[in-house]
Amino acid sequence: MTSALSSPLAQRLLRIPPAYYVFGALLLTLWLTRPQLFNPNVMGIFIRQVAPLGILVLGQLLVMRVRSIDLSGAGVILLVNYIISSGLFPNGTLAFYLFMSIGIGLSVGLVNGVLVGLRRSSAVIVTLATNIILIGVVQLLASGKPPGDVPGFLRDIYNSKVLNVPSAVIIWVVLTGVLSIFLSRTVYGRYVESVGENPTAAHFSGVPVARTVVTAHLLAGVMAGLAGLVQTSSIAVGSIRFGLDLPLNAVAATILGGVIFGRGDGGVWGPFFGVMSFAMLFIVMTTFGIQEPGKLIAQGSIILIAAIFYGLRS
Amino acid sequence: MKAVFAHLTGQNSRQGLWILPLIAGIVGFAWLAVSTDQFATPQNAKNLLAQAMPLIIVAIGQMMVVLLGGLDLSVGAVISFTTAILALDAPAAITIPAVFIAAIAIGFINGTTVTRLNVNPIIATLAMQMIIMGLTRLMRPVAGGEVPEVVKQLVSGAVFGVPFTVFWGLLVCLLAWKMLYGSRFGLHIFAIGGGIASGQSDAAHTFGIADKRTTLLAYIGCSCFAALAGIFLAGRIVSGDPNIGPPFTLDSVTAVAIGGTQLSGGVGSLHGTIIGALVLALLSNGMNLANVSAFVQTAIKGAVLLAVVAFQSRKKIGL
Repeated sequence: MTSALSSPLAQRLLRIPPAYYVFGALLLTLWLTRPQLFNPNVMGIFIRQVAPLGILVLGQLLVMRVRSIDLSGAGVILLVNYIISSGLFPNGTLAFYLFMSIGIGLSVGLVNGVLVGLRRSSAVIVTLATNIILIGVVQLLASGKPPGDVPGFLRDIYNSKVLNVPSAVIIWVVLTGVLSIFLSRTVYGRYVESVGENPTAAHFSGVPVARTVVTAHLLAGVMAGLAGLVQTSSIAVGSIRFGLDLPLNAVAATILGGVIFGRGDGGVWGPFFGVMSFAMLFIVMTTFGIQEPGKLIAQGSIILIAAIFYGLRS
Repeated sequence: MKAVFAHLTGQNSRQGLWILPLIAGIVGFAWLAVSTDQFATPQNAKNLLAQAMPLIIVAIGQMMVVLLGGLDLSVGAVISFTTAILALDAPAAITIPAVFIAAIAIGFINGTTVTRLNVNPIIATLAMQMIIMGLTRLMRPVAGGEVPEVVKQLVSGAVFGVPFTVFWGLLVCLLAWKMLYGSRFGLHIFAIGGGIASGQSDAAHTFGIADKRTTLLAYIGCSCFAALAGIFLAGRIVSGDPNIGPPFTLDSVTAVAIGGTQLSGGVGSLHGTIIGALVLALLSNGMNLANVSAFVQTAIKGAVLLAVVAFQSRKKIGL
């Protein structure tokens, strides 16, 4: 076992993030059992559903690369959803909603970032606490009732397609591409890499460690805000209960994609395929008629097995 | 003055910041006793204790894992699973051992994946949480069933007017105290955690401490404490309920954090954790009496957590 694992080929194969294997295996399963589902329309509808998770993952992978974590995504998404669907701003335009989502994300990200980066508090606790506060505030504002309707034009944009690809998916892919270029071509990307690798060494090399962490949390907040906007557009009526499990799923998808606290071997596209494999898992489960408990067990087992295989190499 | 401040905020202390939460708890207690007349009654004291007990039990288990720089997100699922097993319509002589066997197995899987297979504790226990919740929902999709009479008696009974809850508390605290402060296991936990917190994850290992075995035992202990909390809850609600456990996952982390245990490991205390759980219970009990809506309670809980954590000072950035 040990010698087989240390051979060059096995090492190279283990270096590929598990997300690609899981995605490939599920794609193969689907192709062998339900080839009729292999058309862009069906796949597009399923993949469109995970676009908010995919956008949230972009922020998650950034904070995880600087050895932090952001669990406040659910609160941000809920607040964005509440403000849009409650009719507080009946004449809101797309630009207004966009600025508002980014603004909410930035403010939450700022609180998280300052406490985690400057005050050096535990990121799990800080982001958990901001999440609890946001959820409480939204439930208080809504006094337990679901808010009103989501403006129709958001829904129209969500339902539109460009070259047969749903626009939500395009937004997700474009954001992923932008982040990928941003991390590989800018000084900030280098900072992220060095802080993740070794914060002490980064500090003594003149890298502004605290600022890098704060910026990562700000960007994660922005991503959560955008995820909230896309998530809100996907539903007709507002809700105060949805998306509560998104942050933990985002952590799972990120790790599946080969990004572990401090190490970003999977880059940006690894976690992208982590989210894609969640979408595929959903399709496969649904076509085989597996109920909610079975889905949970399968999802948990896949995450566990993938993480074990990834952990074996280090 | 600076020294006093450093002492109050638990700087350089192995036990962490527990004095401030204690003061906050006492102030809150006094304020509630003066301002509301239903608070300082024997009935409410009984309620408060019964509300706090499961959280205290889970939080103690959670603390052992947190002291090692880990996190167990599967405790909530273990609680639900326990109530589902107890409500299986089988004699207590079978279900109670089954509960602990299941808990040991879950803790063993958590601990092994974390220590031997190098999986991050958050992801390992999160995956386990999904699997156990799936199993629980297969066994009991909605709340129902009936737990054995013995379990009900164990929780709601009383001797000489003293409710059994008090004995639960004493027993659990004694057990945890022995584990943490009266045994090699506890000493090793602090040694391993201290090394992890200061960036030398193998510091204890180089001193000949079996760090992997101790960590594994801590995860098993954590699951068993969660199972114990599950038995207590099952006795209170007299049925199996898949939805009763999950809130305890984050609540236990909250209680541990309020009690001054640091999530980077090595710093924390048993009395701090008990104070943390009591403060949380006091918070919701008091706000219920003061007719504060459940939604505001959620927000205030978060704000308290944020305030406490902002006071703690540590060297490491991140998790």
